[in-house]
Amino acid sequence: SCSRAKDVTMPAKLPVNFFSTRSPVIDLFRGQLDYADHLRQDSEIVLYFFYAPWCGQSIAAREEIEHVASRLSDQVLFVAVNCWWNQGKCRKQKHFFYFPVIHLYHRSFGPIEYKGPMSAVYIEKFVRRVMTPLLYISSRSKLLDFLSNYEPGVVGYFEFNASPQPPGYLTFFTSALHSLKKDYLGTIRFGVITDKHVAEEISLVHSGSVYLHRHVNASLIYPNDIMNYTAENICKWALENREMLIRWLRPHGGKSLLLNNELKKGPALLIFIPYNPLAEIHPLLDEITKVALEYHNCNKSQAAEPDPQHLGDTDSPAFDSSVPDAHMKLSETFSITKYPCCNTVVLPQWHSISRTHNVCELCINQTLGVKPNKVHVPHCNFLEIEAALDSFYLQEHTFFQVISNTIECSNFLSFYSPFSYYTACCRTVNRHFLSFISSEKTIFQTPKVAFSSHGKKGNTQHSIPHIEDRNCFIPDLRISGTNITGLSCRTNKTLNLYLLDSNLFWIYAERLGASRSTHLKEFAAIVDLKEEVHYVLDQNQSLVGSSLENFIKNFSILYSPLKRHLVDDSSVHFHEQRVITEVTTNTFHDTVFSSEKNVLLLYYAQWCGFCASLNHIFIQLARLLPPDNFTVARIDITRNDLPWEFMTDRLPTILFFPHQRKEQSVKFPEDFSVNVPNLLKFILHHSSFSSSEPCTKECLHKETVLQQGHISHLEREIQKLRSEISALHKAHDQLEAQLSEARREEHKLQQQKHTLEKQHKTLQLHSEQLQATYDQKNQELLEMAEKLQELADASENLLKENTLLRILVAAREGKLQSKDEIKESLQSEKTLSEDNDIQISKATATLEEKRTDNTDTIETQHSSGNRTE
Amino acid sequence: AVAMLRSLGSLLCLWALQLPAPPAGTGVAARGLDVASYRERVRAMFYHAYEHYLENAFPYDELRPLTCDGQDTWGSFSLTLIDALDTLLILGNVSEFQRVVNVLQEGVDFDIDVNASVFETNIRVVGGLLSAHLLSKKAGIEVEVGWPCSGPLLRMAEEAARKLLPAFQTPTGMPYGTVNLLHGVNPGETPVTCTAGIGTFIVEFATLSHLTGDPVFEDVARKALKALWKNRSDIGLVGNHIDVITAKWVAQDAGIGAGVDSYFEYLVKGAILLQDKELMSMFLEYNKAIKNYTKFDDWYLWVQMYKGTVSMPVFQSLEAYWPGLQSLIGDVDNAMRTFLNYYTVWKQFGGLPEFYNIPQGYTVDKREGYPLRPELIESAMYLYRATRDPTLLELGRDAVESIEKISKVDCGFATIKDLRDHRLDNRMESFFLAETVKYLYLLFDPDNFIHNDGSVFDVVITPYGECVLNAGGYIFNTEAHPIDPAALHCCRKRKEEQWEVEDLMREFYSLKKNKKFILKRASDHGEGAKGPEDASSEKGGEKRNSRKSSHSLLSCPSQSFNSKLAVLGQVFLDNT
Repeated sequence: SCSRAKDVTMPAKLPVNFFSTRSPVIDLFRGQLDYADHLRQDSEIVLYFFYAPWCGQSIAAREEIEHVASRLSDQVLFVAVNCWWNQGKCRKQKHFFYFPVIHLYHRSFGPIEYKGPMSAVYIEKFVRRVMTPLLYISSRSKLLDFLSNYEPGVVGYFEFNASPQPPGYLTFFTSALHSLKKDYLGTIRFGVITDKHVAEEISLVHSGSVYLHRHVNASLIYPNDIMNYTAENICKWALENREMLIRWLRPHGGKSLLLNNELKKGPALLIFIPYNPLAEIHPLLDEITKVALEYHNCNKSQAAEPDPQHLGDTDSPAFDSSVPDAHMKLSETFSITKYPCCNTVVLPQWHSISRTHNVCELCINQTLGVKPNKVHVPHCNFLEIEAALDSFYLQEHTFFQVISNTIECSNFLSFYSPFSYYTACCRTVNRHFLSFISSEKTIFQTPKVAFSSHGKKGNTQHSIPHIEDRNCFIPDLRISGTNITGLSCRTNKTLNLYLLDSNLFWIYAERLGASRSTHLKEFAAIVDLKEEVHYVLDQNQSLVGSSLENFIKNFSILYSPLKRHLVDDSSVHFHEQRVITEVTTNTFHDTVFSSEKNVLLLYYAQWCGFCASLNHIFIQLARLLPPDNFTVARIDITRNDLPWEFMTDRLPTILFFPHQRKEQSVKFPEDFSVNVPNLLKFILHHSSFSSSEPCTKECLHKETVLQQGHISHLEREIQKLRSEISALHKAHDQLEAQLSEARREEHKLQQQKHTLEKQHKTLQLHSEQLQATYDQKNQELLEMAEKLQELADASENLLKENTLLRILVAAREGKLQSKDEIKESLQSEKTLSEDNDIQISKATATLEEKRTDNTDTIETQHSSGNRTE
Repeated sequence: AVAMLRSLGSLLCLWALQLPAPPAGTGVAARGLDVASYRERVRAMFYHAYEHYLENAFPYDELRPLTCDGQDTWGSFSLTLIDALDTLLILGNVSEFQRVVNVLQEGVDFDIDVNASVFETNIRVVGGLLSAHLLSKKAGIEVEVGWPCSGPLLRMAEEAARKLLPAFQTPTGMPYGTVNLLHGVNPGETPVTCTAGIGTFIVEFATLSHLTGDPVFEDVARKALKALWKNRSDIGLVGNHIDVITAKWVAQDAGIGAGVDSYFEYLVKGAILLQDKELMSMFLEYNKAIKNYTKFDDWYLWVQMYKGTVSMPVFQSLEAYWPGLQSLIGDVDNAMRTFLNYYTVWKQFGGLPEFYNIPQGYTVDKREGYPLRPELIESAMYLYRATRDPTLLELGRDAVESIEKISKVDCGFATIKDLRDHRLDNRMESFFLAETVKYLYLLFDPDNFIHNDGSVFDVVITPYGECVLNAGGYIFNTEAHPIDPAALHCCRKRKEEQWEVEDLMREFYSLKKNKKFILKRASDHGEGAKGPEDASSEKGGEKRNSRKSSHSLLSCPSQSFNSKLAVLGQVFLDNT
């Protein structure tokens, strides 16, 4: 049975339903690909979901597909096929390296593989694109909408009046579908115009012409004469020539060099916003797009092209004219204002959920001042702004209640200087309604140049009014040109702009230091891979066009005020009882430099095996060192960035910061093994002890403190020794117990030995007796053997006699024969021979008797032999 | 051979081109896996297998899940029970741990006439007993006074290890592969042993030596390691099998997988456990040769050990431990890149085939099985510690789904005999409960005591003095049995150090400095030879600068800037 059980195998379980039977998705769980193909004939749009039932990703995507199916089931056929079941057609015909695979068909066109995020909204968006790959542009305003989108747009113009379908239309339609194959993110949008007048807006005259819209560079018309008019070519042409002012980054989750390739191009601005692809409008995205357009807009006079931006402005309602635009215009108009220095201040919000802010523009007005040397200094002194802020702070109740769309201004005196006053103008702003434009209150829209951030300690929280932009006006026109328009061409620190959906990729934002607590997942950071730095847009500022602009500007100017962002591990909780102090980026300075103690700092990382195995040594050390004078601390360097001068390239690294000479930190030499004695020696060697100078009172005091420390240390030691002694006692008791146990056992053994010896003796006696009987028997046997030998000898003799007799008989017979011949002469001898005959027969008889006797004795010998054995 | 290499290279390129295709998993990643629910599913998996073993197979070594009975495989030690013991504690089941400790003490006997694999007995039995011994206080067992330097489980481990010692009595010091537990090495035993069978002892044996005070175990383990080192090829590689009498290589395939794997693993883990530079420098030399000759496009192939020519363009399931090992020494970028390659293989089959032909992108004949091995999950656990990349949790999710869907049967979990059709085999290896389930659980349980970063610890009073224990940094042996590195400093050597420390502490409380303080230079042998190399710290510093080594061998590089963004499959190129 053993060998049989070894060979027991079991075929894979039969496939079962993957989707529930009530699901709008048709589940071909036996992999009936032929049936799947058959189903396709009945429906215009089909989505195939090829899955493997064991695959985690397929299981996770199942819900998403069901969700999409429930929304689109009336227009799209959803077919799920088990492409793993090895008896199924699908497995036999298709060879997938991963699951699930999603294929879409638009009638006979396909398959179009969906490679986007496995998220219902993205899938639905894509399906919808496959359903209507071409957008019908019926009017001028629709055209403007279409072209003003941040994604590149391709427009075809076809006259539908004559034939049922104008030539080239089908090709154009197919190329739209084709583009979805290549460009699964669907960044290129395809539109079609049928109206002649609308087409004229973009100078399309001939039916069949295809137009690629570009915002910054000149737009293009498909060169029919150079390239063949095929779907593939149009698609390729559009992909090659499209403008990518701002790109979505959507890592697919598998191994990829996407970020590597993009970030290696140069510094990048990564903007994280929550994005719903199905939403009708994306106000925030539009705002960011405009910033991007401005940034790349190097040649403002594009006379040749109708500027959709401009058209859009005239067409759409007022709020569409967004901040950057206003900025630009206003900065031209009011390049010199009478207020020399202003700053935006955001007032605390009532609720953090509220999407409104009270924003005040705080300006320092020194026209009344009698500080002649300062009047003409255009710089907005940081101290002044701080002072103004403080004064403003005290007045804040005045503005606190304001919820108004009009701007209210008031002046108030400085608390620090009676000669200057401040002006504050406040209003409530809505994120979606950032219409700051106000003809007279120009104070809002002063051209801005940053001055270095004042690096307020602690984090500016929502509850405190804070300086928003930290800008002030310098009437230097050259620098005031640092508005964002076309900045990308004027700076040598050109940024590439990228968008990431924070619903999917928030983890990257967290990695760059986005706070985990915010529920609003908006974040912007500039990453410079080459310089190994990144800057972060203050998360307390709302992510709007203007803040982004300032961020970009601050990055671009020569002496950038941006500070390298240091990511801090906020998850560290402070335990008072911890023997080792856990240091983070934020607490680094306080713990190491500000403290009055000698500090031993360990740089470590959780994953580094060499660090983790030293834990116990540092714990021992921290328990030994007098806590009044020493801190043993550590910092997880993978989760906490430090200023360059404190970075280290190997882990673990041990630094010692002696009290009073913190700047002269020393590194524990790497050649020496890390153990408690070595660390103590290292600390002793470098710690600052008062040298052997003549003793003053202070010194005496010190000594007493020290000695007290020593005493308590010794007391601790004594405690330890006591417990050690008790441990030893216990061990001793245990040993004692074991010993007595052993003794008892020894005793028992001895007794056993005695009894065994007795038994041994009796056994010996027994064996002696046996030996004696054995000898006796042996003797008997020997005798027997002798007798037998005799018998054997006797029988041998008899045998010899026998043969002798036979020879004699033979001789006699021969003689008798010869006697017959001479009968008469030997008559007398006849009687004699008869006598002889009788004698012979007698002898043979006795001989036979002896023989039987002989076998008998042999038999008895055998049986006796058995017995002796 | 060169031509072959080139064609292979182009094949690999083709393969690499296929790579950017995988589907976007980010939808799930973004919403986050429900870690807690997966953790509970892993727990349920454990008990499904464990209870069926107890019911149907104990006291045999392993459960046969299809026939629902038991069999002896590696000896006759109730192997699955020993192997699963510390998993019980990691799952938090203290009472069952205590019960099993009693059962083992009564039931397991090593005085048996059984031919046992030296390697397997060491990693599963000795390792399992040692880790259970070291964890027994945590499990609430009332330990002896001398613990951790004495205890019933330690004595069992020592007994088992002593049964293996006869195998090491060879001219080279490299052990035989098989030993009879009663009679020692059988006459006529084959002298051919695989490399891993020679170099996978230092973790268990050094621990034993440090705890019991008998240096014989560590000595034989070191001698075997050195013998392998001495017999490496000119280009710095070791083969697959060697004759332990003549030291001739019998199988000359060099790679990182089957037959070699845990040798490299133990060089690193031994270096960490014993703070031993010599072991680490050996590994670093091998690592260079491995990168030079076997690494292609983040895959590791098999090459001829003397010539360096590719012999098998194959990825083995067992090789998947490598990224985890790399992360321990700080090579996280490379680890992640290789891990992502291996993960694509999992996605293709729902498991890792024993052999996977890389250029063909398919399984290799006769090597299509997946015996529920832990290696890829092990790497995911280590890498998750380092990167917190949700991709790693996704592998965990995939593993749970696959194993439950494919290999769960009424009586346990069955080995997958063929990944192409998911046919099952009548076996559940003991490493399923010892390793696969343990690593899965630890992946989904970031707050487990095993992940302790040193913020909590225990203080134990032993007859040798006070001792800090359970401060994290556990070293897993190659069968996933955790060893507390702090325990190695608790026993016999503790006393000498304490007096030295006490002398030094006196200095802290005196105002005048009396002495120059001399640091002890780390010697090659951990705490071995010392003396002549001593120097004052400053002089040492100067010397160090003038010498070639720019950094300590026992350290990791800190991570580069772009590692911040190296998650969700993103890899960066230049920092190697």
